[in-house]
Amino acid sequence: MYSVNEIKKGLEEKEFSTVEIVREYLEKIKKKDDKIKSFITLREEEALKEAEETDKKIASGKKLKILEGIPIGLKDNIATKGLKTTCSSKILEDFIPPYDAGAAIKIKEKGGIILGKLNMDEFAMGSSTENSAFFDTKNPWDLERVPGGSSGGSAAAVSAGFAPITYGSDTGGSVRIPASFCGVVGLKPTYGLVSRYGLIALASSLDQIGPFGKSVEDCIYGLKGVQGFDEKDSTSKDVKMPDYFKEIKKGIKGLKVGVPEEFFAHGIDKEVKEKVEYNIKILEKLGAHVEKFSLPITATGLSAYYIVSSAEASSNLGRYDGVRYGVRTDEYKSFKELIVKSRTEGFGEEVKRRIMLGTYALSSGYYDAYYKRAMIFRKKVEKLFDEAFEKYDVVVSPTLPVLPFKLGEKRSNPMEMYLSDTFTVNINLAGIPAVSVPAGFSKEGLPIGIQFIGDKFREDILFRFAYALEQEIKLNLNPWKEGR
Amino acid sequence: MKVSRDEVKYIGKLANLRFNEEEMDKLIKEFESILEHFVNLEEENLDGYEMYSFDEKSLRTRTDEVVNFDNRDKLFSNVKKMRDKCIEIPKVVD
Repeated sequence: MYSVNEIKKGLEEKEFSTVEIVREYLEKIKKKDDKIKSFITLREEEALKEAEETDKKIASGKKLKILEGIPIGLKDNIATKGLKTTCSSKILEDFIPPYDAGAAIKIKEKGGIILGKLNMDEFAMGSSTENSAFFDTKNPWDLERVPGGSSGGSAAAVSAGFAPITYGSDTGGSVRIPASFCGVVGLKPTYGLVSRYGLIALASSLDQIGPFGKSVEDCIYGLKGVQGFDEKDSTSKDVKMPDYFKEIKKGIKGLKVGVPEEFFAHGIDKEVKEKVEYNIKILEKLGAHVEKFSLPITATGLSAYYIVSSAEASSNLGRYDGVRYGVRTDEYKSFKELIVKSRTEGFGEEVKRRIMLGTYALSSGYYDAYYKRAMIFRKKVEKLFDEAFEKYDVVVSPTLPVLPFKLGEKRSNPMEMYLSDTFTVNINLAGIPAVSVPAGFSKEGLPIGIQFIGDKFREDILFRFAYALEQEIKLNLNPWKEGR
Repeated sequence: MKVSRDEVKYIGKLANLRFNEEEMDKLIKEFESILEHFVNLEEENLDGYEMYSFDEKSLRTRTDEVVNFDNRDKLFSNVKKMRDKCIEIPKVVD
């Protein structure tokens, strides 16, 4: 399909209309998404109406905004006014928000046309999108494999060419993991850069909305479409960001790259390790100074992340009681039973497991050993990253230690699933940005991602590295082959 | 690390969730495997770090003023049933 720049140019030069573009994407989704299963809800009628309005604007000669006429997909935990927002959960299967999320407001203000809502792990808890209460999403590169998670629908949709830009949310890797598995670019912005207002919370101190694109430039358009201050999010930051499009042209010559040895240690797939190391050599060839260093946070960071995120989730999900909204049980004898049965029937297995884990970590007798210690370790992670960014412009690692795995392969072993997040969770604990960029393919043709980690509000540096690598290795990122 | 059945039952009560015997057995095993991994937190040297240090993070405040939101229909659009200004739920006490 098209890049954002191709669509913008085509609309400006009147090669095609917005209605034609939106219709083309919708038709592709209707024709091909039965194989991938990325969308939960399509917004066909409204999207075409908005496209007509954009065409009127173009005809009248008005200046077009940054996302004007660009088809967009949103993860189904981003509230959309009048459009079902389920969080891929039975408990919210009939929930229609009466308001738009901060990110959705910005997308609409900037002219983006929302095509629909995308599948995810229930309440964003998972790394494979197998925890959706509705259906599994498939990896466009191999339909027997998972697309990664929790924003698996968003990554698969961009990879399959169903929209040039989609959005997900990243609490412990939920944008970067599916970006890596589906061979697309996915950014987890600095905590506070994108509004969380209307993002249905998993863990409020870690959650951040981030864009997916097939190229670094599309991902930049995605970020520019949603970044910026929002008074409705008390953790939103008012920071002036540079022009990323200018920045990426500067190259990476003379910049310093730190390679944390622990991110290449035992447990990592041989092909992943070799491919990422090969890409690091390319960075050197492009003029960056590469140096190995020690960042001993991977194993403990995973523990701290699962304790903190589950604790926050157990509190955030306390609101689902079957009374004010969401699914309500049919039979009960008391008010307490109404709540317990509604929650027990409405939540899926992984959500219940994490609520239990979080409640356990916060309960009297275990609070000091788990929650408090995890929160203190979080401070250590922040300090270690601060020290790293005194020496390096960017820290680089594989996005995941494994290749995209088969559907069902890790479903019955939660701890094994959690281990997939080893290289991504610490970034959320520290509140810093990171981007996953396609680095190549395994012998079997499965995508491998490389992760660039930056200091707070230094998305510009991440994009410089991502763009330099992308332009040098020039991968074919179209997953559709004959016969598929 | 061992987790007892009573502990899981108690946590379930706090979390407003119910599990049958089979689910409970499975949950205990999974909990033990997850908590085993968490042991690395105990081994970590955390001297010199504090849980709360807000030195550089000043939280933003907003003006304390009343903002009326009068579109009640919109606010309660996902409620199953309303009576006057109240959410109506089925009778739960005799």
